[in-house]
Amino acid sequence: MNIDQILKLPSMPAACPSYPLGPYRFINREYMIITYETDHDLLRAAVPEPLVPNAEGHVLYEWIRMPDSSGFGDYTESGIVIPCTFEGEVVNYTAQMYLDDEPPISAGREIWGFPKKYAFPKLSVNSDTLTGTLNYAGELVAMGTMAYKHQASPGGLEAMNKAMTKTSCVLKVIPNFDGKPKICQLVAFNLTDISIKGSWISPARLQLIPHVNAPVADLPIKKVIGGKHYIGDLTLPHGRVLFDFVKDQKP
Amino acid sequence: MRKEDVLQLPSMPLQSPTYPRGPFRFFNRKYLIVNYLTDPKAIREALPEPLEPDGNQVSVQWLDLPDGEGFGAYSAAAQVIPCTLKGEPCNFISQMYVNNTSPLAGGREIWGYPMKFGHASLITHGDTLTGSLEYASQITAQGTMTYKHQVHPEIAHRENLLLARKQVTLKIIPGIDGTPEIAQLIGITFENVTVEGAWIGNARLDLTPSVNCTLADLPVHQVTGGVHLVTSMTLPYGHLLHDYLA
Repeated sequence: MNIDQILKLPSMPAACPSYPLGPYRFINREYMIITYETDHDLLRAAVPEPLVPNAEGHVLYEWIRMPDSSGFGDYTESGIVIPCTFEGEVVNYTAQMYLDDEPPISAGREIWGFPKKYAFPKLSVNSDTLTGTLNYAGELVAMGTMAYKHQASPGGLEAMNKAMTKTSCVLKVIPNFDGKPKICQLVAFNLTDISIKGSWISPARLQLIPHVNAPVADLPIKKVIGGKHYIGDLTLPHGRVLFDFVKDQKP
Repeated sequence: MRKEDVLQLPSMPLQSPTYPRGPFRFFNRKYLIVNYLTDPKAIREALPEPLEPDGNQVSVQWLDLPDGEGFGAYSAAAQVIPCTLKGEPCNFISQMYVNNTSPLAGGREIWGYPMKFGHASLITHGDTLTGSLEYASQITAQGTMTYKHQVHPEIAHRENLLLARKQVTLKIIPGIDGTPEIAQLIGITFENVTVEGAWIGNARLDLTPSVNCTLADLPVHQVTGGVHLVTSMTLPYGHLLHDYLA
């Protein structure tokens, strides 16, 4: 293997790369998102500066079913998203993610810095209930439920298409081989070619169980606001650096 | 979290880092190493320059890691290609499969261990030391060795069994725009190695072609034997051997 071939590798291992080059197209991506209110001080501690968490103390707990994802295959994800602002612009900061497929874990961590760990999330329709569960290291750590397609979401598909264009943001941390920080950046990206096929709202309930390596319950639930359920196609492109903690930080 | 604290994070996520800082001590770490002869052309293709092939023998290895600091309990399977770098004998780790995200993410992100998620197991079934690897629900490798039939002839210098050759990995991490950000050969030398037992024996190896778990791309021409090791050792940080972007 020569240097040209090495520099064209999309990922490790060279013998069978975990993931190809992006962008990545997702067909029939199905979301259940439960919004709740949490403690303001804990929320501030969970969000890296210079991001500022939303004043309402809202947290989005989500499950995403991804049956057809280019480069990644078929998998399910669960995690925590915190609405924030970056220099006044509203962004969604992804704080924790759990999924059951290695290529999107490695690609997510290594390209963008999605904070992904391996676990067993599930999103399914159980009789009249849209149900999300998350098992980490053999234990149940989250369970969310929504009434099934009770009400179309306000503004219809057009409003949901627009909402999906909101900037997303993650904290990418990759150490150097000697343990020192190598990449430490706030990274942003925007989904493209979004086509929402259905979108609903309903009452919801959420249970989060304390676990040290999947600390979804560290932002405790004060009040559940409601649930959103939608399905659509979209493309996840590469992104851009918003803030570089190694290069931009003044002593 | 304050900006200055962000730089102190050992890994993602901020709220529960996937792995802590190293070094990482492993207790009761067991190996099954099946050595075999393969196609020299396939070895040349699998080795990144400037690594040079060192013979036609490679190995598939199974590791049982019941107690790894920071990582927990897991199992691994790997393909290892002996090679040289500027004349120094090394072992290039070309593929690894593990069933635990902490070492998987830590391995890839710190050293560039080429790890994917696979279900490896190394157990003693009756009279047989047995390694198997399942990837995406299919068995892709099976290795078997006689159980402690013969003490390793190098038992007097047993630590050399792990230390004679430096491990080398190819660390590739893309940047956010998709262009390479890290492309390096990393060297790793284990520390504080104790070999509690070492045996050799007859072995057999079966590799099944699979597109995302490509151990069989180095075909088995002839199995030359098995090595069974029980060790404790420390995995320190690595050092830079070659930077493709420099």
